[in-house]
Amino acid sequence: MNFERTAKALSEIERKTLEVLADEKEKGILDISKESELDKDSVRRAVGWLAEKKLIELKENKAENLVLSPKGKEAFEKGLPEQRMMKALHKLGSKAGFGKVMKEACLEKTEFNAALGKNKRKAFVFIIKEKEPMIELTEVGLEFLEKTPEEKIVLDSIENKQVSTETAEEKETEIITELIERGLAEKKESTERLARIKEDGKKAVSLLEKSGGKRAYNIHDPAPTIFIGKKQPYIQFLQQIRRKLTELGFKEMETNLIELEFYNFDVLFQPQNHPARSWTDTYQLKGLKKGNLPDKKIVKLIKEAHEFGGKTGSKGWGYDWSAGIASRLMPAAHGTAASARQLVKGVEVPGKYFAVARCYRPDVIDATHLSEFNQMEGFIVDKSFNFRHLLGMLKQFAVEIAGAEDVKFYPDYYPFTEPSVQLSAKHPQLGWIEFGGAGIFRPEMTEQLGIEGKCLAWGLGIDRLAMFKLGIKDIRHLFSSSLNWLREEPLVNME
Amino acid sequence: MPTLEANKKDLETLIGKKFKSRAELEEALMYAKAELDGLEGDELKIDVKDTNRPDLWSIEGIAREIKGRIGKEKGIPVYKVGKSKVKAKIEKGLENIRPKAAYAVAKNIMVTDELIRQMVQLQEKICQSFGGKREQVAIGIFDFDKIKGNVRYYAADPEFEFVPLGYRVKMNLAEILEEHPKGIEYGKLLKKFKKYPLLVDEEEGVLSMPPIINSEESGKITEKTRNLFIDITGFDQEKINVALRIVCCALADRGAKIESVELQYPNGKKLVTPNFKNKKFKIRKEYAGELSGLDKTDKQFETLLKQARYNVKNNGVNFEIEYPSYRQDILHEVDVIEDIIISEGFNSIEPATVSVSTIGNELCEVKDNDVLRDCCIGIGLQEVLTFTLTSREKQERKMCTEEQNFVEIENPVSENWSVYRKSILPELLEFLGMNKHAVYPQRIFEIGKTVHFNKKSDTGVTEKNKLCLVLASREANFTHAKSALQAVCNARKWKFSLTEKDDPRFEKGRCAEISIGKRKGIVGEINKKVLSNFGIEMPVAAVEIEL
Repeated sequence: MNFERTAKALSEIERKTLEVLADEKEKGILDISKESELDKDSVRRAVGWLAEKKLIELKENKAENLVLSPKGKEAFEKGLPEQRMMKALHKLGSKAGFGKVMKEACLEKTEFNAALGKNKRKAFVFIIKEKEPMIELTEVGLEFLEKTPEEKIVLDSIENKQVSTETAEEKETEIITELIERGLAEKKESTERLARIKEDGKKAVSLLEKSGGKRAYNIHDPAPTIFIGKKQPYIQFLQQIRRKLTELGFKEMETNLIELEFYNFDVLFQPQNHPARSWTDTYQLKGLKKGNLPDKKIVKLIKEAHEFGGKTGSKGWGYDWSAGIASRLMPAAHGTAASARQLVKGVEVPGKYFAVARCYRPDVIDATHLSEFNQMEGFIVDKSFNFRHLLGMLKQFAVEIAGAEDVKFYPDYYPFTEPSVQLSAKHPQLGWIEFGGAGIFRPEMTEQLGIEGKCLAWGLGIDRLAMFKLGIKDIRHLFSSSLNWLREEPLVNME
Repeated sequence: MPTLEANKKDLETLIGKKFKSRAELEEALMYAKAELDGLEGDELKIDVKDTNRPDLWSIEGIAREIKGRIGKEKGIPVYKVGKSKVKAKIEKGLENIRPKAAYAVAKNIMVTDELIRQMVQLQEKICQSFGGKREQVAIGIFDFDKIKGNVRYYAADPEFEFVPLGYRVKMNLAEILEEHPKGIEYGKLLKKFKKYPLLVDEEEGVLSMPPIINSEESGKITEKTRNLFIDITGFDQEKINVALRIVCCALADRGAKIESVELQYPNGKKLVTPNFKNKKFKIRKEYAGELSGLDKTDKQFETLLKQARYNVKNNGVNFEIEYPSYRQDILHEVDVIEDIIISEGFNSIEPATVSVSTIGNELCEVKDNDVLRDCCIGIGLQEVLTFTLTSREKQERKMCTEEQNFVEIENPVSENWSVYRKSILPELLEFLGMNKHAVYPQRIFEIGKTVHFNKKSDTGVTEKNKLCLVLASREANFTHAKSALQAVCNARKWKFSLTEKDDPRFEKGRCAEISIGKRKGIVGEINKKVLSNFGIEMPVAAVEIEL
């Protein structure tokens, strides 16, 4: 049974090799190659495999081979030097000077001299002394030109492996010795592997003849790997949350990598002397200092909110607000800058908004910090909203997005929301995690900009969740630079 | 966010309640917007989340807040202020240097190691964050019994000498700025002036050189010290008054008797500090209910307010409230309403379902990019994600291009993240360079933002989305890259044309500029020099197009 499977699973080259050996003769690689019309490498491989399967036996045989030297090869292809000399002479009108003949026959000086000596001895050429020495082709030479000299025949036999030191006849041996002396051929010792079919091999051949020769596959053989095109797991994760939010009725807001301080801070009611605006907490730009503030009316509203609370009943921060500071540019420091832009642009009431924003902070990069990261933020707005809706919205996020079983709220502080909340979610595997921050936008922002309704703003700590879902411990891995990891990471529904 | 170190027993003594479990302590800390960050034995680490409430940046302040919430005290804490005999004279010449001051005396205090630790911590937190690294608020605390008579604050010559705290020899003011560790740290606040602020007593004994250093003579507080003198300097009287109140309340909470000091400014204006006069504010009752969503009677609201340490009168329409003078964060009714909600307890409020229905939508650009991602994945490319911040080294030098203008970071953490990328290609080449061990062919792509100067935009830049794909294999060539480009363009029905181009990033004669309408791009075989710069040993063909 096992033997039958082995036989049927023989590959094409194994099969052909075995068929050649079926006559029970001992054969070398070359012989098999010739008979099977397989190239030598394939035969070598097939012989190895067949021996392993115990269908044939191998014997190593030390043999002395004859091979041609590079010069011999040249002679094999272009003819022997003496022939080439005569052909050249014939072409040059049977008589020519030394130099001309040498050039026409493409012979080197030493080769030329040897060939000349040989041809003279055989009386194929004469040397005539005129102004300069000339070579002339004789009648005998001309006659011989049509024939193939014995040396060439032996040379060809060597190249074609038709003759060896062992098989050569007496006459051939003489010529071989001459060729070796002339440096055209050489003896080379080699090990030859000889294959002979075994009993099992014969059985296999007859089995194959009966079965009609269709190869059986081993389904357990390894198949080549294909690397499919795949989406980056972290982008895919963000994309799935995006989809979730749009299903919940959220509209996506535009985000900027580079933002005016106006949107990053001022619209969000962060006073211009706020410690968070200082140099160590945010990146600053070189060579790109100021941008353009929006409509003057809007700028005036924000200025008044900061200075005395505007029309909102707030005291404001009580300082001279500077448009110069507000028009400075900076790498966006938080996703709320996108909300600020939306508030200025105008919002629909009721409305739900979100943004996935790339943000920057001058943190030294390590396993828990990136200096460039994504934030997912937004707000919902309606006249009817109150603090309890804020808690309701956060609970919905925790359940829908993080798959949380329970939530807990903690008082928190953000300069732009009051009241402010921190959301902790109890994840079935992660336990309690800080999942987000939220609050109601201060009236100095919303009322002042004429928005009729309360804006319940939120930001989610999605990186932690992404790391968990992707099973990674190092936050830098979200932007993975390992192709192997990206290739091997399974495609999963991350919800 | 300020982090405080404290002792659990000390906190319990200040509150007058023992916490039986960690959970109970955590629950109580929530009332002070604080979070337990660590608990080892009796040592506590507490994060205070409110960066706008310096009165909560001390263990005494946290205890005070909790006392109200758990019913140990109600309404505004009452601090009695006696009158000390000390008078303070502020002389001319300080107007530009450091013009404002506030003083107080705290008597009969039991100085312990814990008190010293808490005072140092409070001083540090107030001066660093609220005081803008001592610029706007600097605090000095002295042994009152070493001070003789009245005090005088004036602008002294740099040659004036005294022994600074922790030293044994006299140094002059200029030397202190140059050589003393505190002088080196805070010297930039004074160096531009010709004279420096100095606080002395009646016998010319130095108390301190604000905002740099106290004197060894009176600035040293030990367990033997019984009475303290507090000096606060800055530029804004209201701001330093708040700081003084916070320090005085903390000392009073530990049993000190606070006494005031009478100040006279050069213009003759007199002032008595500290002043604990409560501040007034009005809350619309209706608004409190509307914003908090709490369905409460007036009485219940009043109780919640008192728990949050407000005094309340109900005048029918409004709650007329008073709040403690150490608070400076109340700008709008919402600030008080948040305190009402904290008193109620965030977790005892029933969340309400948001039933507003709206129609969601992703950004057009996001949807477009997503279609393109699908095209690239269809071709069999792996998506990767790299950073938008990068280095000139990668974008310019390794790419063998000429010097370009990048939007650059003024204060980079590292040169590796110091400019905004203009092209994604170098980032993907770097990716290949880091993955030489992975099986080839390697075929990757990224769609992302690049940043380019644009004076017409309000932010001074255009943020262009680009698609970049790179193919690395033994056979990778121009034709492969063009095939990929063609496939993407066909899928999106974009018509593209190619023009021969010489580009140092690409092999000569193996590069073309792409035009898709007005949008440009480049396709070709990456130059061997560039490949070796990124350590890539395989031919690479690439496409990058603007989207």
